[in-house]
Amino acid sequence: MRKTPERIESLAAEYVLGSLKGKARQRFERWMMESVRVRQEVWYWEEKLGQLGDQVPDRIPPGSVWRGIERRLWPPGEPAATKTKSGRLWPAWSLVATAAALVLSLMLVQQPAYTPDTRLSGAIVQAGVGEPLWLVDESGGEGRLRLRSVAAMSAAAGKDYELWIVPDNGNPLSLGVIPVGDVHQVELTDQARQSLGRSRTLAISLEPGGGSPTGQPTGPILHVTKLYEL
Amino acid sequence: MTTSDANQDELMKLLVSVARSDRHAFQTLYNRMSARMFGLCFKLAGQQELAEEALQDAFVQIWHHACEYHSDRGSPLSWMLTIARYRTLDLMRARTVRRTGGEEYLEHLEDQRGGPLDAELRSAGAAQLTGCFGELSDSQRDSILLSYYRGFTHDELAQALSSPVGSVKSWIRRGLMALKRCLER
Repeated sequence: MRKTPERIESLAAEYVLGSLKGKARQRFERWMMESVRVRQEVWYWEEKLGQLGDQVPDRIPPGSVWRGIERRLWPPGEPAATKTKSGRLWPAWSLVATAAALVLSLMLVQQPAYTPDTRLSGAIVQAGVGEPLWLVDESGGEGRLRLRSVAAMSAAAGKDYELWIVPDNGNPLSLGVIPVGDVHQVELTDQARQSLGRSRTLAISLEPGGGSPTGQPTGPILHVTKLYEL
Repeated sequence: MTTSDANQDELMKLLVSVARSDRHAFQTLYNRMSARMFGLCFKLAGQQELAEEALQDAFVQIWHHACEYHSDRGSPLSWMLTIARYRTLDLMRARTVRRTGGEEYLEHLEDQRGGPLDAELRSAGAAQLTGCFGELSDSQRDSILLSYYRGFTHDELAQALSSPVGSVKSWIRRGLMALKRCLER
């Protein structure tokens, strides 16, 4: 379906209202990632219809909600060290990351009790998909990253998903093509582990079959996710 | 209930601090916004438990994504309400929430006297969007407001308004476009 201004206008409104569903909604989310014009139209409606949300009477949530948030963000036993966010991507990607974050939300996987040796863990999720696409975790101390695909769908014919470490500075580092429907393990070099340890950021892009021909992402960045230290 | 610019400035400052991982600011933001957001989650879901879960998820997302807020995305208030609303809708769809009291709604709506939409919300919504809802037909306005406040699907709307799905879709589409034309004037 072509992105005519009329279609963008009408689909953005229905997207925000929530009446756009299923495949149509997914296709529109891809449009949002691809085009700032589409995102601006969505923001327009979020602002306008958001005014309706401001009219609903307040309702005080029970205290358990805040305690639940605290437990999820800062599990008991985890040192309360001030974490500095390292979400500084290089310019081109930061735009895409913002776009991706519009439609992709990050979810913490169930956090087990704190163990002294740090492991990275996280989930790659997509709005509207009940289960995470992939669960990511690091085998303790072995410099190996494990990706378990849960709800991920195969890439289009002739395309592959490629996994990248997004460092705090510099270019993304390829971790190779990742298959769907299986557990996939990636060996991390010391350099890759250090880089990931600092930025804790992974991305998945859509590339030609076999992976990016240039060593840098060439296709759309589908997901950007931040890992957490367990 | 209007939100003054001063409040918006304050929310903006809190979001900036949250983006820098300031937990204290995050708790202040929660204290400031949770009742407002929870009101919307509850209105949509009609269920305490689901609304609580959606609110919790929304704040976890706000913690992680505060740095991605920018003014093109509307006021901090509407940005946060949008996150809460999307999360509630996601959970409702994932669980295919069945609303209670559907029959009762039907009776009200058939004779065009209100129904699941509180009269006050209807008039407040109209006033807020600079009277533009007044330019819509009753069916267009009700379909849009029921989708917004109650998360009704096309099928649910068709049932509630005793009309074919095709009509409902076209009321929503045309109503939204009429609303935009009016807002742009």
